[in-house]
Amino acid sequence: MRFEFARTGVAPEEVAESETALAVSGPWKVVVLNDPVNSMSYVVLVFRKVFGFDETIARRHMLEVHEQGRSVVWSGLREKAEFYAFTLQQWHLTAVLESDETH
Amino acid sequence: MKRIEVKLSLTVVAPLLDLMKDSADVLQAQIAAPLTLDDIDADFRDEWRAELLAGQQEELSALMGLFNSDFYENAVVAFDEDNAEIIVRACSALRLRLRRHDLRRLGDEQLEGGGIDVETLPEPLRKPFMCYLFLATIQELIIQHLDGAILKGPAGEMSDEDGDDDDDATGDEGGDREGA
Repeated sequence: MRFEFARTGVAPEEVAESETALAVSGPWKVVVLNDPVNSMSYVVLVFRKVFGFDETIARRHMLEVHEQGRSVVWSGLREKAEFYAFTLQQWHLTAVLESDETH
Repeated sequence: MKRIEVKLSLTVVAPLLDLMKDSADVLQAQIAAPLTLDDIDADFRDEWRAELLAGQQEELSALMGLFNSDFYENAVVAFDEDNAEIIVRACSALRLRLRRHDLRRLGDEQLEGGGIDVETLPEPLRKPFMCYLFLATIQELIIQHLDGAILKGPAGEMSDEDGDDDDDATGDEGGDREGA
């Protein structure tokens, strides 16, 4: 999957300007929220697949989602955060973007 | 290529297929998981949603394709490296739909606890719940036997033209942004 549409119709100079602005404005967090449907093994698989986490790290994030209702699984530039949120949603997880205002 | 074949009971599974088909039909036009796009640029939301929906349609088509005329002859479904990922995702989409619609009367604790006795459920909930369990079983079989194939496939990574200095997959034990 490629997040191809993100730049449709946007001139290169506008993209460069936008990226600079995002980089300056600080990182974004990709947050996975708990759902009562997807199994623990499924969520672990998704985290391993999407982020390349090893089993231990993936399980830790899964348990965080399960027990605390949410887990920050990635943070960084806006464009990549969008990509990861989209990919998680393709796997039918509830993933949202949050601005990391504390950074 | 690793492949698993699962022999199913036609008498158990066949009655579930109508409900699966109905749910899959609804999901031709509706994203299965709750979707919050408030933080997404308004210009992109429709395309974002459309791309998610197209992927979901493809998944459901693959899943329902397993239960073709051959299935009614031999009652066998097969999973391999080519279909493992798409089927496991389709099961997730259908389970989410069943949960939000047909099984909405059940509490989260009941479903997550796994202690529900089908016989004690009201009649209208029995088939959806059986369907919900059946799809979970398919998922677990695939994850148990074909997770390596799924993990080996194309990763969920985008080209990193920026380098990695400015982002943080929070799997890094030393990362300081982990946690909610």
